[in-house]
Amino acid sequence: MDAKRLTRLALLTALALIIFTVELQLPTLAPVPGMKLGLANIITVYAVYSFSAGETAMILVVRVLLGSLIAGNMMSLAYSMAGGMLCLAGMLLLRRVIDKKHIWVCSILGAVLHNIGQTCAAIVLMQTSTVIAYLPFLLVSGCVAGALTGMAAQLVVSRMNK
Amino acid sequence: MIRSQKFWIAVCAVIFAAGLAWSIILLTMSHGDKVTVTRDGVVLYTLDLSKEPDREFTVEYEGRKNVVEIKDGRIRVKEADCPDHVCVRTGWLTAKIPIVCLPNRLVIEYADSDLDAVAG
Amino acid sequence: MKKLLCLPIAALIMLCSCADSSSEHIKTLYCMDTHMTLKAYGDKAEAALEKAVGTLVDLDAKWSVTNTDSEIYKVNHAGGGTVQVSPETSELVSFGRDMYEKSDRTLDISIYPILLEWGFTIHYYKVPAQERISKLLWNVNASKIGVNSSGVTVPADMMIDLGSVAKGAASDMICGELRKAGVESAVLDLGGNIQTLGSKPGSGKWKIGIRDPEGSGIIGSVSVENKAVVTSGGYERQFTENGKTYHHIIDPSTGWPAESGLVSVTVIGDSGRMCDALSTSLFIMGAEKAYHYWRKTGGFDYIALTKSGELLVSSGIAEDFDLDKDHKNIKVTVVK
Repeated sequence: MDAKRLTRLALLTALALIIFTVELQLPTLAPVPGMKLGLANIITVYAVYSFSAGETAMILVVRVLLGSLIAGNMMSLAYSMAGGMLCLAGMLLLRRVIDKKHIWVCSILGAVLHNIGQTCAAIVLMQTSTVIAYLPFLLVSGCVAGALTGMAAQLVVSRMNK
Repeated sequence: MIRSQKFWIAVCAVIFAAGLAWSIILLTMSHGDKVTVTRDGVVLYTLDLSKEPDREFTVEYEGRKNVVEIKDGRIRVKEADCPDHVCVRTGWLTAKIPIVCLPNRLVIEYADSDLDAVAG
Repeated sequence: MKKLLCLPIAALIMLCSCADSSSEHIKTLYCMDTHMTLKAYGDKAEAALEKAVGTLVDLDAKWSVTNTDSEIYKVNHAGGGTVQVSPETSELVSFGRDMYEKSDRTLDISIYPILLEWGFTIHYYKVPAQERISKLLWNVNASKIGVNSSGVTVPADMMIDLGSVAKGAASDMICGELRKAGVESAVLDLGGNIQTLGSKPGSGKWKIGIRDPEGSGIIGSVSVENKAVVTSGGYERQFTENGKTYHHIIDPSTGWPAESGLVSVTVIGDSGRMCDALSTSLFIMGAEKAYHYWRKTGGFDYIALTKSGELLVSSGIAEDFDLDKDHKNIKVTVVK
């Protein structure tokens, strides 16, 4: 990997972390565990459509790890990681069938997968299936948030290519 | 079919609608008065809110605490030292949606069980 | 229209519960390292529960193995000398000691140093070296405990812990207290050790669930009156090292976690401390030995879940046992 590419990846990771940290300061909309806008996902979605699978995974893993450290909430690491990985795997597959004009669709499905992954991690860790009661709320919010971040990412992708 | 962009948009629409419908069902589902307080998969207390006096108790997990309050037949997490405080902001337990504190592995929910106690 | 219908029904239900004179009283507390819920019914329940809580705190102070002011701590640190203790402590130590022989040497209240070595008492788990276990096993032998009118004596290198019988004994004691105070029905949950007093007002028998070793649900339930229901299982405290899981029920003959092919054992009987002791014993014995023990001794019933997913239910409780609806795949065998 050349230095230029590495720098771009590092820059994107840093950018994702900044967005993540800023979002931490925003008040959460509803008291549902795991519900958030997920603005840092703009970077992930952008990376999915601009970088290789390995490179995108690197950005995401580093962002999730450092993000949990910054948030001072290592317990949420398992949830974020499970959600993040499922979301990433799904979007990497979907990018083969969803074109660059419909990135927002891919982003919605990614967000939904993220919510499913989070919920699964919570079921395993909490040893109770009751947390599934939050899934419908997460799905609704995931669709909305996914569409927003996806549109933002789509904008970035189209402008960067100009 | 899966190469069609419309197909994926339709999938999104279905998920959104299903999530919405499911949420509404959960919000309007009826529940009894029995509540279970579960930590780390183990039921600590089974309480009948219609008969509980107003009081507070503390549940600990790895040194962190959640203060649970029962008042006028309702239950909530009053204070917690978890990082996100989602459990506190959830407020009083309503409908069939549990109060969850992910960091402290605490779940408070309406139970539909007719058990008097659980051995084990 | 449906909503309109709900109103009179709700009103009716409320009226019914008002007419029910046997009001329910609940106390919850954290004691003996566990969460307890005491439920009792009737006018006398409130005061009696208040007293029961006091008794539990008092017993915990006497029986704690870590509290340096406890009687058990003093017994363990007397360097082989005799320590004067309260009647209830001496009674329980003597019960524990006798259970050693009665349980075919599966229940040993002097196993404590080995539990310590495994780290089960402090949640700092490790697998000890075999030499270490062998060495410690020399001093594990409950028959060496002396109990008489002047007090309790344990040899200098020995330590006892009433953990395997304390909750059962405590539930027996407060059950007796409640009865004396005129309470006719109560259900006591001492960290999963259940004791029922009388029958449930209005509906007869108490329905007691048996915890599913995997997950948070139950595998089934038993309907009982005036009985104790105690479950022991490795799942209560365990850790994994190098891919192998070790649980806290130590076989006193080996010093290692019992590998008997059972996942959990529930004992139903009149005496809480007996059920408490036997649930551990039968777990260590395994299905075959447990069955013969039950045939020989009697006086209790048991429900054992094997690793292969079979549920063995002794004939005395079979009729009052219900398999949970989510576990219909479990094969239930009634043993006679």
